[in-house]
Amino acid sequence: MSEQHDEQNRDEPRNADLRRKPQPDGRPLLEVANLAKAFDGVEVLRDVGFEVTSGSVTVLIGPSGSGKTTVLRCLNALETGDAGTVRIGDVSVDYATRPGKRPLARLRAQSAMVFQAHNLFPHLTVLRNITEGPVVVQGRPRDEVETEARALLESVGLGGKADQHPYQLSGGQQQRVGIARALALDPELLLFDEPTSALDPELVGEVLGVMKDLADQGRTMVVVTHEMRFAQSVSDQVLFMDGGVVVERGEPAAVLTDPREARTRTFLRRVLDPI
Amino acid sequence: MLAGDASADVRGRLRAAGVQSRRVGFPSTQLGNARVPEEVTIRRVVGVLVALVLCFLPAACSSGPDGSSSTSSSSAASDTTLGKVRAAGVLRIGTEGTYAPFTYHDPTNNQLTGYDVEVINAVAAKMGLRTEFVEAPFDSIFASLQSDRFDLVANQVTKNAQREATYALSAPYTVSDGVIVTRTDDSSVTSLADLKGKTTAQSSTSNWAQVAKDAGAKVEAVEGFAQAVTLVKQRRVDATVNDNLAVAEYSKTTGDTTVKIAAKTGDTSEQVFAMRQADTTLRDAVNEALGQVRSDGQLTSISEKYFGQDVSQGEASPEPQGSAAAPQSTWDLVRDSAGPMAVAALNRTIPLTAISFVIGLAIALVVALMRLSRVGIVSQVARFYVSVIRGTPLLVQLFLIFYGLPAIGLTFNPFTAAIIAFSLNVGGYAAEIIRAAILSVPRGQWEAAETIGMGYTTTLRRIVLPQAARTAVPPLSNTLISLVKDTSLASVVLVTELLRVAQVAAAPTFKFFALYGVAAAYYWVICLVLSFVQGRLEHRLERYVAR
Repeated sequence: MSEQHDEQNRDEPRNADLRRKPQPDGRPLLEVANLAKAFDGVEVLRDVGFEVTSGSVTVLIGPSGSGKTTVLRCLNALETGDAGTVRIGDVSVDYATRPGKRPLARLRAQSAMVFQAHNLFPHLTVLRNITEGPVVVQGRPRDEVETEARALLESVGLGGKADQHPYQLSGGQQQRVGIARALALDPELLLFDEPTSALDPELVGEVLGVMKDLADQGRTMVVVTHEMRFAQSVSDQVLFMDGGVVVERGEPAAVLTDPREARTRTFLRRVLDPI
Repeated sequence: MLAGDASADVRGRLRAAGVQSRRVGFPSTQLGNARVPEEVTIRRVVGVLVALVLCFLPAACSSGPDGSSSTSSSSAASDTTLGKVRAAGVLRIGTEGTYAPFTYHDPTNNQLTGYDVEVINAVAAKMGLRTEFVEAPFDSIFASLQSDRFDLVANQVTKNAQREATYALSAPYTVSDGVIVTRTDDSSVTSLADLKGKTTAQSSTSNWAQVAKDAGAKVEAVEGFAQAVTLVKQRRVDATVNDNLAVAEYSKTTGDTTVKIAAKTGDTSEQVFAMRQADTTLRDAVNEALGQVRSDGQLTSISEKYFGQDVSQGEASPEPQGSAAAPQSTWDLVRDSAGPMAVAALNRTIPLTAISFVIGLAIALVVALMRLSRVGIVSQVARFYVSVIRGTPLLVQLFLIFYGLPAIGLTFNPFTAAIIAFSLNVGGYAAEIIRAAILSVPRGQWEAAETIGMGYTTTLRRIVLPQAARTAVPPLSNTLISLVKDTSLASVVLVTELLRVAQVAAAPTFKFFALYGVAAAYYWVICLVLSFVQGRLEHRLERYVAR
């Protein structure tokens, strides 16, 4: 395996490899207001609202079933909310108006999702996994996209893996391909749905390392995770969700070390000191 | 000797299924076609279908005795058939081609010949017409007549009350006597009355069964004459009743001397040409020509050629002619038939399979996606289609498409009809396979494709179907391999496929066992090749999966 090689690559500066470096300008890139969602009559989101400024990292934490993932999926229109508005950049959707396919597709194009189970396409090579979106959907020339994709692979430390198939990679490598696939779409916003939860503990670091690099480059990211150290050191904003509502929201130092709400305190105690 | 011949039973059953059925009784209840025993049930289905179509078509096509029957294409037959035939100069004749010595293919040159063939040729010649023969299994011969695939049936059709009511029947050209067959060493039966208290073996639906019953005999139901004779020889029953021509043909072909004709029953049966009911002018013209053929001695000479006796007048009792024709050896027959069978496999069985499978897969994909649709009515329509296709016999589907649809003005040639039926059938079965295969692709794959912006069709084509293929290949291969063998049913709709060619070659010699063996080998080889391809394909599709 080439784990060691990858580990080395991870810490090298790679800014130059990214074809686009977002320019943080301080204006809110993402605005969510009054988002609500119920599955078969069971309310899973109620009056969820927050903003994410361009170039910042927001971490969603909370117990399982608290609605974190549903929020993320509503941002990418994988799930349609029952009510509430989502604005990403200059695309805005009001779920209460039952938006059709086209507005949802426009909203979806603003962000890209990295899944917990990576969901790579097993029948395609690593390179094709990354180029499929830009070439097939965005209709860009394959040559150009492939050159970019190889650079992206380099930037996530997988320069030599372009022609392999996903099953030949380790879990951490697969997830890094997943990140490269998301980056290739050149989205305004990157969404991470528990990207390290399905990984063996020793593989978590390589994925978090790539994510930290992206944050350092000024990428706007919303991350659902249980990695408190990542939240503490990388994020600009932490949202604690419980029972479908945002219970507490603030800077990581405030929310994670000195929470106002009792529910937040209970959750943190369980996560940080489980025994 | 029969006892020493391993294929005797099979042959006998095949032969017998042919003999008794077409000489007596009503086609809808008769087991007519010479086929392997497993098809006995199929024959029953066909019988029922023939009955249905026979009931249905005349009603649909000729609305009444006033002749207001111009609504349907098949009733264009009405009373203009004679005119049409004269205009074309061709009389189209339906016959089986597998019933020696009446209608069969001469093994030496593969030409259709036989007593019935020569008689109708002579009749047509008197009418100044050429003949064009359409070979159809007896099971479907009357349905084909009604759907205007030919104008007249020349196939030892026995005259009876039901047929007289349904068809225009010619004057008889064969008259035969009922005879009682016993073991040679059994002298206890010398007349019909002696059957009282004895046990006979009969086809349950034949009129000979009724004759035996009326004489006070107990009747064991069998599939046909040779099976009945076997039971007689094995001392399981005492006798069997059948007509003398059938018995003579049996003795001649098998050389069997352990049974004898012990007595005549006194009944006679008459064989006639059958035409559509409305074609009375054609019937009259045929009768006139038949009269000429009879009066100038031609009929007698044809009869003597085949039977050594004049069977056209009644009171005939031909002697077995064991050495009349030098029988072809089984090996020669197999060698001579292997070529034509390979040709049938290549230009009928394989194209039929391949085309139907491809069209069927396309149908299946559409139906599977409809089944998966969230729109209730779309899903229900697909569900209904699958239910109908899986819930009805393939034979019935073939039959309805070929013989039923002409009633509503849709007439397909045999090959097309078979393609349609097989495609629809494959579509129904494969739809469920494809649906399951699509469902086996994890939902995350759909979501990942959606999140990179792919629409439904693109996702399906580029992401889901390539992965579903891996799951679908083994069960779809099963469907394909079944289809190869199912194409043998196409003979019912007059497609001369592999098994039909084997039948035609076997009929004059009764060597069904050998030729069906060859056919089986061909089918097996085709399926072996397909299994090999399946293996390669599976291997290819497994490339991307960690093991």
